[in-house]
Amino acid sequence: MKTHLEEHEMSAAVAGLELETTAEEHLGSCMTCRQQVSATRAVIDVRLGELEAETPDWDRQRQEIMLKLPLRPTVQPFRRRPWARPLLAIAAVLVVAIGLRVLWTPTPGTDPGVVSDLPVEQILAEVDAMLADDTIPGLELLDQGMDDAIFENGAS
Amino acid sequence: MDPTRTDLSQADDALVLRAQNGDHDAFGELVNRHQRRVWMVCRQYVGVGEADAAAQDSLVKAFTRIGDFDRRAAFSTWLTRIAINTCLDELRRRRREAIVDDESDGDNELNHLDRVPDDDAGPEGRSMQKQAVASLVAHEKKLPPRQREIFRLRFFAEMELEEIATVLDVHIGTVKTQLHRAVHKLREELGAYR
Repeated sequence: MKTHLEEHEMSAAVAGLELETTAEEHLGSCMTCRQQVSATRAVIDVRLGELEAETPDWDRQRQEIMLKLPLRPTVQPFRRRPWARPLLAIAAVLVVAIGLRVLWTPTPGTDPGVVSDLPVEQILAEVDAMLADDTIPGLELLDQGMDDAIFENGAS
Repeated sequence: MDPTRTDLSQADDALVLRAQNGDHDAFGELVNRHQRRVWMVCRQYVGVGEADAAAQDSLVKAFTRIGDFDRRAAFSTWLTRIAINTCLDELRRRRREAIVDDESDGDNELNHLDRVPDDDAGPEGRSMQKQAVASLVAHEKKLPPRQREIFRLRFFAEMELEEIATVLDVHIGTVKTQLHRAVHKLREELGAYR
């Protein structure tokens, strides 16, 4: 059986914090402890009353506020977009995936200071000349064969 | 949150929606509902002389930014946060403008509360209760800043513990601990008066 509330329990009761069950039960039944709690609360309430006495005229304050309001709020209401979150998630995954691929793909060693030894222009000119030359052996035969095949298919 | 508070919060939501679309009457009703709380909060931070101006400033800011209010917290909580920020800005401004730099209290912005104008406790009171209140006022000012802030928001701005935790962005356990310590110290100081 609890005699009286301990000081920390008394403070908790004044502050309106939860008490242990035994302390709560005791407070419910003990006039002395209840008086102690309410005496402290009374001092705080008197102080609150003093502060209340300083409050301004609410109607006047409201009118002054209403005069200061802009025509409309400057920040528009926050509108929820249900599709925005999944879309952003997909975009984030894509960005990460592309980024990782770029990082992991071996890039050819392109040192701008090194000039290729291959005669590129010459090779391209030779390839062009070869493609333009109808007399290259084999091409006539191939053409001839294709003509025959077309003829045969068209006849059947 | 008790049912009455929930009902009030839901009724606030309807008014907020209208105010977000520029309805001044709806915002006027919100002012009507919350101006006392806002003033009381400002009173605790900037003192009685500046409380009215700070409260008005806070409420005008609230209308301007009401589009930002996303209903994740109660409107009163959001509004209280604006009021506290407005007061802290005002206190920082005062600090910058102070010609004589008084004793340095460190960097914690809560030390701004030390500059809150003294409450006029008056001369020795005749009654026991007056003396007790004077003692409360005197010792409350000596509390550590965070304890004093939480004590004032709880008892003078009459805020719920969860709401205090939200507006100060601290854990509810911190609020409970600091409040308990504050009351404990004040009860010790009140001694014979309590």
